[in-house]
Amino acid sequence: MTITADPKRYAELPDVSPMGAPLDWAWLRGAQSEWGVKPKPSARGLTMLDIAVGSYGEVPDHPEHRSMAPRGCDVSGDTPDMGYILNNKTDMWADNVTELYEEAVARQWSATRDIPWGELQELDDDVEHAMCQLCTLLTEVEMIAADLPAKWMWRMNHDYIEAKMFLCTQIMDEARHAEVFRKRALANGGGLLLSRSGPTSLLRTIIEAKTYTQATALMHLLGEGFVLDIFRMGELIAPSDVEKRIFRMCMQDEARHVAYGTMHLRYAIEQDPDVAEEIHEALDHGEAVLTEFGTAPDVSTALAVLLAGGVEHVEDKGFPLSVEMSKKQFTSYLARCERAGVSRLDRTTIPLDLLGIDPETIRRAAA
Amino acid sequence: MTTTTTSQGAAFDTIEFFKALQAEMNAAPDRFRIIGDADTAFAVVMRDGNRTFAVRVRFEELKCPEVGPAAPRGDVDFTLVGPLHAWRAMFDDIVANGRATGLHTINSLVLLGNDVHLVGDDPMGLDKFSRFNQTLQEFFDGAARVVARA
Repeated sequence: MTITADPKRYAELPDVSPMGAPLDWAWLRGAQSEWGVKPKPSARGLTMLDIAVGSYGEVPDHPEHRSMAPRGCDVSGDTPDMGYILNNKTDMWADNVTELYEEAVARQWSATRDIPWGELQELDDDVEHAMCQLCTLLTEVEMIAADLPAKWMWRMNHDYIEAKMFLCTQIMDEARHAEVFRKRALANGGGLLLSRSGPTSLLRTIIEAKTYTQATALMHLLGEGFVLDIFRMGELIAPSDVEKRIFRMCMQDEARHVAYGTMHLRYAIEQDPDVAEEIHEALDHGEAVLTEFGTAPDVSTALAVLLAGGVEHVEDKGFPLSVEMSKKQFTSYLARCERAGVSRLDRTTIPLDLLGIDPETIRRAAA
Repeated sequence: MTTTTTSQGAAFDTIEFFKALQAEMNAAPDRFRIIGDADTAFAVVMRDGNRTFAVRVRFEELKCPEVGPAAPRGDVDFTLVGPLHAWRAMFDDIVANGRATGLHTINSLVLLGNDVHLVGDDPMGLDKFSRFNQTLQEFFDGAARVVARA
């Protein structure tokens, strides 16, 4: 750290304003923070990674202050405590969070402008109903991934600004997802259909998580991982290029959120292995609720009709494909758990045998 | 070297074809600016009996700076592996329709998993297939313009 300027240089400046108010020139006379840091923009512009230089790039494990003072500045001793409860880096950090923030900013899109709404095609009645039911569900569940970070962000120490900024992008992403699925439900002459209790149980489990790390396990790793695969499935079964684009764009956003959650959990466990049990407990309950949600009659029938291209082949094509998709969903989830350092292979109650999932294959791939 | 062509006569299992896709991407930054920066490297592997064609592609920001032969277990986030006939069907569909449609989009092919598979050692690398999927699809869709110009 260096003093930024000669303290005597501006000694002649007035102490009182023309209106009689006291003046403070301390900021001009110097500070303990680094001065003269000049980060170089990369080819894409000046990124948050570019400015993470010198002391500005040092993210403390345990911040000294609990104010909204920007990390790296001189903080006055009388700055009030904001009441943060997440004051350790392990509480929300992930090694990829700054990269993901930049990616999120660079890949924002508009549900109004970037979807070719004019190309929507008239669909068979059963397929339109199934698409509208799926969109009703997605409009309902997507905002949980905005509400949850909003619930915790104001409790996160401001020194972890990059993590908070990333979560802001997630909130915007989820607002756009709720928007795009609500628009799709209405745009083709259908509308919003049924909402039942199944999704609410899952959403309450997520929002009521006792710690942020448990909440991340439930939302980013389990819930959003599951929804990411629904988006991938949605792209597969989309009846037109309009829906294909909707699901692809949403898929990209959701995968960022999953990447953050996976790497946050990994970081938290690496720093404190005892956290793993806390995460396991959340996932024990979360997997049970998610399985209930995934097999809910409204969800499974709508997906099966879309997979079959209509009700006619729902039994011989829709349901068998649906089982295949579930196998892929749970395989992806279990592989991400391995990557996060919280292996579920010996603990999960997901019926792996019934789904035809071989835990040893996942274990070997992760080794 | 034996190559395979699309219905329109383009030899798609060649480095030259992927370099043409690269040039197509690099010549159209506005198309990719709407989607946003993408930073990933991946391999495409096409198999036909004992013959294997493997190409490594790297995206950086809005560009594709690298296309070249893929080394076994090379430095990539994910690999797309499938038989030659499946890739031919995908490129045929792209050329016929101007972009991939129905079950011929790269996500659909991989998710069905009948022919084309998404493989990789790291779930975070595999998830980049989803994170940059629209960019990847636009890259492959460039085949329609490449073939049309040939």
